[in-house]
Amino acid sequence: MSDVVGTLYGDAPDVAAGPTPVIRAVDLAKRYKLGKENFVDALRSAAFEVAEGEMVAIVGPSGSGKSTAMHLVGCLDSPDSGEVWLNGRRVDGLRGRALTRVRAHEIGFIFQGFNLIPTMNATENVAQAAEYAGLSRSAAAMRAGELLDLVGLADRAKHLPSELSGGQQQRVAIARSLVNSPKIVLGDEPTGDLDTVTSDEIVRMMRKINTDMHTTFVLVTHNPEVAAACDRTISMRDGVVVDQGYGA
Amino acid sequence: MRFVRNVFRRKLRAFLTIFGITIGVLSLVVMGAMTEKLTLLVNGGVRYYGDKVTVTSGSTLLGLATNPLSSNRISDLERVPGVARASASLGMLLDKQIPTVSFGNIPTINASDGRDRGYETFIVKMAQGRELRPGEDGKVTVGSDIVNKLSATVGGTVKIRDKKFEVVGIAEKTLTAPDQAVVMSMRDAQDLYADTLPAAIRQSIDPHKLATSIVVYVKPGKNPDVIARLINHEIPDLKASGPTDFITQIVASLSTLNAIIIGIAMISLMVGGLSVINTMTMAVSERTREIGIRKAIGASNGAIMRQFIAEAAIIGLTGGLTGLVLGWMFTSVVNAAMEVSGAPLFLVTARLAVGSVLFATVLGVLSGLYPAWHAANMNPVEALRHE
Repeated sequence: MSDVVGTLYGDAPDVAAGPTPVIRAVDLAKRYKLGKENFVDALRSAAFEVAEGEMVAIVGPSGSGKSTAMHLVGCLDSPDSGEVWLNGRRVDGLRGRALTRVRAHEIGFIFQGFNLIPTMNATENVAQAAEYAGLSRSAAAMRAGELLDLVGLADRAKHLPSELSGGQQQRVAIARSLVNSPKIVLGDEPTGDLDTVTSDEIVRMMRKINTDMHTTFVLVTHNPEVAAACDRTISMRDGVVVDQGYGA
Repeated sequence: MRFVRNVFRRKLRAFLTIFGITIGVLSLVVMGAMTEKLTLLVNGGVRYYGDKVTVTSGSTLLGLATNPLSSNRISDLERVPGVARASASLGMLLDKQIPTVSFGNIPTINASDGRDRGYETFIVKMAQGRELRPGEDGKVTVGSDIVNKLSATVGGTVKIRDKKFEVVGIAEKTLTAPDQAVVMSMRDAQDLYADTLPAAIRQSIDPHKLATSIVVYVKPGKNPDVIARLINHEIPDLKASGPTDFITQIVASLSTLNAIIIGIAMISLMVGGLSVINTMTMAVSERTREIGIRKAIGASNGAIMRQFIAEAAIIGLTGGLTGLVLGWMFTSVVNAAMEVSGAPLFLVTARLAVGSVLFATVLGVLSGLYPAWHAANMNPVEALRHE
């Protein structure tokens, strides 16, 4: 599929010298309709890059477009204009199976409020993502066990989300985001529903995974402590990137 | 298993929806079991009447029942070209009282003069004992459905219309009319029949010449319908009916009855189907955020669609199985109660059982199609925003 996409969209544009970007957002624009006549420009020509192995925070006031940017980069929505490149190939405009494959194999998601499926235990929640990526049920369960062990929840594998604390649920969500070994994990306010202590614990865990597994993390956050724990902070305001956080 | 858990997330709602399907399948099984029984009876009739001509007197008694005819007419009939053999038979109700309400067959007394031996192809075998021999008076064989009604045992006696008869055989189950028939000698049946006639008529006839019909067997290669028309032409005071007459009258009316019965059951199932649509639509609405999560972690539209269709199918399957079990229990209880009267009303066949459950499952799937399609095509971002 990547060859086909490469042929359709051409090769990745040259980037500035430095680490290889795994994410390139080029002049992204997105307008949402509000009723029949009103609309809001969530993004207007937003552009940023994230290098492989980076842990980056996207910050900005409410309505600045940071979640929209994450949704476009995560292939959950398509831009009205602009380009999204992941791992060197253009992915905006993908449809159907190609789009599903990108979501399943190349990106992991962590959401605010944990967003686990309530009728599934921890193992099943993690394994579900692996099954969507094509693993058999038994192989997916085995892989889920490894990931739950990694996040320190091996002894909670059979517990339902309702039987887990907020921090434990978010660790299950982290395990789920990693189950298909994606290069990129996107987090939308991953510590938003957690207390300070648990929030620190989750950030440390993500940082460890980032260091040990070289997984790229992009975290949309309002929390300055989360942003401070990242390598770099991309600041957004009114639908544009005002600072990529590279410093002066 | 995961699908089952999802279905029963909202236990009361799942129960009510499944209950709706259950009621539909219950009615389908009960109504269907009635039509299956009737169909088998009629099929037996089609088999019995399929190769012969039935001749009755052309006149009726007070416009209600056909008058008896004399077995002397056998020689008239056997002179008609194409007729191989004519045999007098006598049929009457087993009980003196005509049942006010009846479904299916009514228990009867049947007798033949024995001239049909070697010509009759519809042979009822005995499960116990032996067949009745021609001219064997005071003895009977009993159909399988009325054994309990008559408390019949081989070698024992039964009381029929206040007269005692020895039971020499109990017939195998045929699932059609002979199951509810007592077979006795022509002479015994004629005596019982004569007792039913008004005294004035009884005194003016020879009861041992009485028959309610004469069965005509045609020569090989001859069409019984053609022979029936020929008899009607040559002997106008008798009424001859061929197989097509039977099929036209009985099968056509059964088809209409079947259509009405199945139609009623289908309507109740459709209502059940609508409740599945309602339930699945609500489930999709309540689980919008979950659908968004599933899409974000890599679920294809097909996977989402399969999931909701599977859940709808489970609702249909569970309702179907429950309805089948309840229907089977209901028909068994009613049949057991009616066994006393010798007229079981229902027959749950394998095709009815499998068909009912399959239909309920397919109905569940079809009812789940739109909600599943709606879920599969949700925008993941909008779904994730859903509270």
